[in-house]
Amino acid sequence: MPDPKRNRNRLLTLAGLGVVVLLLYLIDNSGSSKLVQAFALFSIWGIAAVSLNLVNGVTGILSLGQHGFMLIGGYVTALLILPVQSRIRIIESGRSSMTEETLSISIANFFSAIGLESLAAPEYLWLQFIVALFIGGLAASFFGLLVGIPSLRLRGDYLAIVTLGFGEIIRLLAATSMFSPYTNGALGFAGVPAEFGKSVWWTTAILGITVFVMARLKYSSYGRALQGIREDEIAAAAMGVNLAYSKILAFVLTAFFAGVAGGLWVSWIGTARVDQFLFTLMFFLLVAVSVGGTGSITGVLMGTAIVVFIRQYGDPLEQTYALTDWLRAGGLIVLAGGFGAFIYRAARRLRPRLNAMVWVPLGLGTLAFAAALVAPGQGWLEGSFRGFGLRAILLSVLLVVIMVFRPEGVFGRSEFSWAAVFRERRDRPSDEERGQDAWLSNPDLADRLARQEKREGDE
Amino acid sequence: MLEITNLSKAFGGLQATTDLSFSVNEGEIVSVIGPNGAGKTTLFNQITGVYRPDSGDIRFEGRSIVGRKPSQIVHAGIARTFQNLRLFTNLSVLENVMIPQHHKLRSNWLSAVLRTPGYMRQEKAAYEYALDKLSFFGPRLMSFRLHQPVYVLSYANRRRTEMARAMATEARLLLLDEPSAGMNPSETAEITQIIRRMRDEGGYTILLVEHKMNLVGEISDRVVVLDYGRKIAEGSYRDVVDDPAVIEAYLGKRAAEEGRTADLGVDLEELP
Repeated sequence: MPDPKRNRNRLLTLAGLGVVVLLLYLIDNSGSSKLVQAFALFSIWGIAAVSLNLVNGVTGILSLGQHGFMLIGGYVTALLILPVQSRIRIIESGRSSMTEETLSISIANFFSAIGLESLAAPEYLWLQFIVALFIGGLAASFFGLLVGIPSLRLRGDYLAIVTLGFGEIIRLLAATSMFSPYTNGALGFAGVPAEFGKSVWWTTAILGITVFVMARLKYSSYGRALQGIREDEIAAAAMGVNLAYSKILAFVLTAFFAGVAGGLWVSWIGTARVDQFLFTLMFFLLVAVSVGGTGSITGVLMGTAIVVFIRQYGDPLEQTYALTDWLRAGGLIVLAGGFGAFIYRAARRLRPRLNAMVWVPLGLGTLAFAAALVAPGQGWLEGSFRGFGLRAILLSVLLVVIMVFRPEGVFGRSEFSWAAVFRERRDRPSDEERGQDAWLSNPDLADRLARQEKREGDE
Repeated sequence: MLEITNLSKAFGGLQATTDLSFSVNEGEIVSVIGPNGAGKTTLFNQITGVYRPDSGDIRFEGRSIVGRKPSQIVHAGIARTFQNLRLFTNLSVLENVMIPQHHKLRSNWLSAVLRTPGYMRQEKAAYEYALDKLSFFGPRLMSFRLHQPVYVLSYANRRRTEMARAMATEARLLLLDEPSAGMNPSETAEITQIIRRMRDEGGYTILLVEHKMNLVGEISDRVVVLDYGRKIAEGSYRDVVDDPAVIEAYLGKRAAEEGRTADLGVDLEELP
C-alpha cells in the first residue's frame, strides 16, 4: 500500500534503533549486574511473549503450553552446549542415568565429527550456541506441530486445556526415567554457559529478530488470514483460508521462538532444571500478553516490561515492615485509586462526578492514613508483617484490574506506529469527503438535496 | 456450471434436503425461495462444503465437489455471503477484502516475512484487486472507508463489504444468502441493481436465496422453490408464483383453491 510518509518513517525508525543501541550500551556499561540481568530477562521473556502472541493474540487460539515449548528448547540447547567439565561432573557424581553416548551429544563433537575441528574450540562457543538455539527451536517447533493438530478439531476452552496438559506432560516426561538419559532426570544440567543469556546484546538481538519476523508476518497476507481466523473461523474458511495449514503454521512458529527463548532462559539461569519451567512461567507470559494487549506486539512488549520489573525489582515489597507502615502505604494506594477514579470520570464526563467508586476509596484511604498516624501514640497496631508472595499477588491484582476496566489490554489491538504518533489517521474523511459522504451513504438525502437544488435553480 | 443431482441430507430425524436436483448455467441468476425452514441455507452449506450431503452429487464445472473442504471449494471457484453477516469485525474494510485473496498467494510465509519482490508484486495486485471489487459499490467504501474497521460501518455498508469480499475470492459462482435482509426499500432496490451488474459487468453467475419477492421477481432468470427440503417448482418467476403447489406452501391450501398468486412482491411494495 502506498505510504506517502515512508521516508520520514524509515528515518525515525533508524533513529529509534540508534537510541536503543545507545541505551543497551549504557546498560551494559552501567556496572549494575542487576540491571543487565533484568534487561536480559525482559528480552528473553519478550521473545516468549511475542511469539505466544502469534497464537493467542493474532490467531485467537488460547494456548497455555508455552512453558512446554520453552522447556524443550532449553534442554536441547543445554545438552548441546554443556561444557566438558560439567559433563565430567555428571559422570563422576555416579547418580546420573546419562550414558557415555548421550553425554557426548554436543555441537562441538558434531563439528569435530564433520571435520570442522577448528569450530569445536571453546572460542567458537558463540557459534555453537547459535546452532544449538536453532536446533532447540526446531525441536520445539516439532512439538508445536504435534499440539497444532488437535487445534484443528478443538476450539476455545477445550483446546486451552489440551495445550495446558501438553505443557505439563512435557515437564513431567522430562524428569522420568524414559528421558533421563538425555535430560539427566530431576537433577538437570548445571553449568550452562551464562555469557549469552545474561548479555543484553545477545538477548536483545534475538528479541529484535523475533519482533521483526512476527511484525512482518502479522502485516502480511498470512497475518491477515490468521486474523481472519481470530475474527470468524467459519467466514475465514468460506473465504478460502486453509484453516489447518494456517493454525499449524501459527503453532509451529510460536513453538520455534518459544524454544529459542527457552535456550536463552537456561543460559540466563545457568542451569536447566524441570522446576524452571513450571506453569507460573506460563502465567507470567499470559499476564504480559493480556495486560499489554492481546494481538499487539508493542503491547505485549510493554506487558513483559511490567511483569519483569515487578519480578526483578519487587523484592522490597516482600520485606518485613511495621504494621503502621503497611497501613500508611495501603492507605496511600487506595487514596490514589480514588483520585484515579475521579480523574477517569471527569475525563469521560461521567455523572455524577462523585460516585461510590470515588468517595469510598477516598474515605477508606484517608481513614487508613489517619489511623496509621494516630496508632503509634495510642499503642495500637504494634508488630510487623512480612509481605511474602506480594509480587505474585500484585501481578494477579493487575490482571484482574485490567480484565475489569480494559479487557482488551492497554494497547488493545493497535500497534505503535509513527502515523499514530503524529496523529495521522487514514480512517477519517478529509473535509471535502465529509461533505460528500452524507450524499453517498444516504440516497434519500441525495434525492432530496438534488430536488432542493433544482427548485433553487428554477427560482 | 453447477449441477446438483439427487441431493439428500438429514439431521437426525429431520430431512433437510430430499432428492434435490437442479442446475445453474453460466451467466444465469437463479433464485432459491421457500418458506422459513425449507432448507435453503442447508443447501448453501452443502454446496460450500460446510455440511457433507448424505447422498447425491454436486458438480461444479464438470467436477464433483462433494467432500472437499470449504477452502478448496472457494479455490475451485464458488464463494458465498452469509445470511447474518460474518465479516471480520475488528479488521478494516480493505483487510476484509484482501483476506479472500490469500488462497491465491503463491509465496510461502518466509517470502512474505522477507517481503521478496515476488510477494510484494502479489500484495500490490491483491490491493488493487480489492479496490476494484470495492469500487463496484461506488465511492462509498473507498478512500478513508478502506481503513475503517468494519464495526463502525452502517448495516448496508457491511452487506456491501461482504459482497465485495465474496467477489474478491475470484470465484465465478457467487452464492448470496439473503443479500437484502434488513435493508430498506431503496437499499433493496440498489442491491437489486448491483446483483444485476455483478452478472452483466462482473461476469459472475449468481445463485440467490431471498425472501423479498419483488427482488426475486425482478432479477431472476429462473426460480427454484423449496418446501420441507423438496423442490416443489422450478421455472420463470411468473410460472412459479402461479403454481398451485407454491401458493399452497406460502399461503395455505385455501389460497391455492381460491386461485390466488404467490407473487407477494406487489404486497410488499405497498407496505408502509
